[in-house]
Amino acid sequence: MSADGVCSLLVSQARRFGESEIDGSAIDARAAIGPALLRRAAELGFFAVTVPEAHGGLGLGLADACSLVEELARHDRSIAVTVGLHLGLGSRAIVETGNESLKARFLPSVATGERIASFCATEPSAGSDLTRLETSAVFERGALRLDGEKSYVTNGGFAGCFTVLTRTPGLGGRAATSLLFVPAESPGVTIGREEHKLGLRGSSTVSVRFDGVRVPVDAVLGPPGAGTAIAHRSLEWGRTIMAAGCLGTARGALARTVEHASARVQFGKSLLALGGVRADVARMAARVHAMAALVEHTAALDVRRQDLGIASLVTKVFASEAAFEVCDRALQLHGALGFMEDTGVARMLRDCRVTRIFEGANEVLALRLGTAIASGAADVSFAGAAPSDSPAAREWARVSARLAEQAGELRRREGVALVKHPAVLSRLGRAAVRVAAASASLGRSQRDCAVAEYTATMLVREACAELDAIAFADADSRVEDEVVDELVGHARVSRRSDPARAEVPA
Amino acid sequence: MTNDSLRATTLHSIAEVLEIEATELRGSDRIREDLGMDSLGSLELLSILSESLRIDLEVDRAMKIVTVDDACRFVEASWVDQRENPGHTRGAAP
Repeated sequence: MSADGVCSLLVSQARRFGESEIDGSAIDARAAIGPALLRRAAELGFFAVTVPEAHGGLGLGLADACSLVEELARHDRSIAVTVGLHLGLGSRAIVETGNESLKARFLPSVATGERIASFCATEPSAGSDLTRLETSAVFERGALRLDGEKSYVTNGGFAGCFTVLTRTPGLGGRAATSLLFVPAESPGVTIGREEHKLGLRGSSTVSVRFDGVRVPVDAVLGPPGAGTAIAHRSLEWGRTIMAAGCLGTARGALARTVEHASARVQFGKSLLALGGVRADVARMAARVHAMAALVEHTAALDVRRQDLGIASLVTKVFASEAAFEVCDRALQLHGALGFMEDTGVARMLRDCRVTRIFEGANEVLALRLGTAIASGAADVSFAGAAPSDSPAAREWARVSARLAEQAGELRRREGVALVKHPAVLSRLGRAAVRVAAASASLGRSQRDCAVAEYTATMLVREACAELDAIAFADADSRVEDEVVDELVGHARVSRRSDPARAEVPA
Repeated sequence: MTNDSLRATTLHSIAEVLEIEATELRGSDRIREDLGMDSLGSLELLSILSESLRIDLEVDRAMKIVTVDDACRFVEASWVDQRENPGHTRGAAP
């Protein structure tokens, strides 16, 4: 069977699994997927998708993982996140950079789901900033001794193995990092309690402690000292798969909204016959279209072995924000019913929320993207080219040129002082995200002409608004600084005047 | 300013951005891959160097820096270039 055939089969299995065996509401209520459903997902081959065939997997690629996760997310996001994290961040580094002996020993059990994979990067004192890691692994008696604590470890509660980003002072200098493969049964590994979360309640999120864990030297993934670079490559997959999950949730929310709005009668008409509702539904459909186009575009880059760095960042930022917007609009269009947990839309909204935070907070990613563009480290051409000569494509070409022009002008005017204007850089990054999303949408105009044109036009206008706002960004941030300083001043005064809090240092 | 003191200033600034000791840095360390500094950190580094040495550093050229040694050489070259062409500096050399 061809790879496409295997992927189609998996997706249809996921659909049947979702329709007949997954109860998202029950998973949410008991805050656990449960071992029986995880076993079933393993039996269906979901954990094997991206493991090479030589090690018992299906040997499929990023696009296939995205298709599976998208389908799972339509039914339940906790399961989608569990499978997605295993296929992306959790196992990518060992698949891509592990030595043959390590792969032969562990990948077969990763493929069967006997060992669900997990990734440990975040630490209590290091969030988005991977240069602040405190976990370290040092040479001791022929192996590495790993010590430290990791936070918010997805899949950690039932993981069979961890990919751990740690400082390795003996490998590549004191500041160097490496990725280590650590089986969960290693002595010295302690799993913390499950976190109580707003959403994704069925997925596992724990802290993991490593106290003197002995890690053989052959469990270093990739070149020693290259941990951060390999982690970033894994993140590229992780972010794209996460975006596919956002797409699945958003598609589910859109489908429920269309169903509800068609059946619901208000003011003597179907809700879907009302102009405002139609506009909202069209906007939701446009968001879904752009998300699908970006996920497809990024996965296609992986097939061509092109760099996914910026494309995956753009796809993650856009999809996480668009999914939240679509779910929020779905809830609104369901009226009071949407606020009730029974409809499932409220859960979709809760489940989506964290995707704007994890695998890189969107604010940080937008700032980094804006910086990369303004400094010339990233060429604006990553956003693609207008594939047609339609009105939307012409508008896109104009805004794309404007983005490049404003970035160049900033670089010439500010030089290295660019870094002192984070508000400007963030706006530039957000504009670039929309320009790239519009380009990806136009790339699908052969298939969905009307929605592609509508989507691109909307995104181009949003990009223009971000670029317009750059002129005011510095002035705005000065006023914002004053407001925050005033708030901090008020907080100090109220602390001093409150005897109960007077002991708390300012 | 000698090449040695320019190198020391550069190493000190890299260490400041990364919050590590300058003695931990090796000339062959790759700034992005080995030290984890992204383009935002690189820009922050250039801004610190530009202010402490009071020279302009070209962003386009700076983004091609790979290793710690490259960064030191780039700063030395920019310093020499602007000392020989003082019209291009933002302020007098200290």
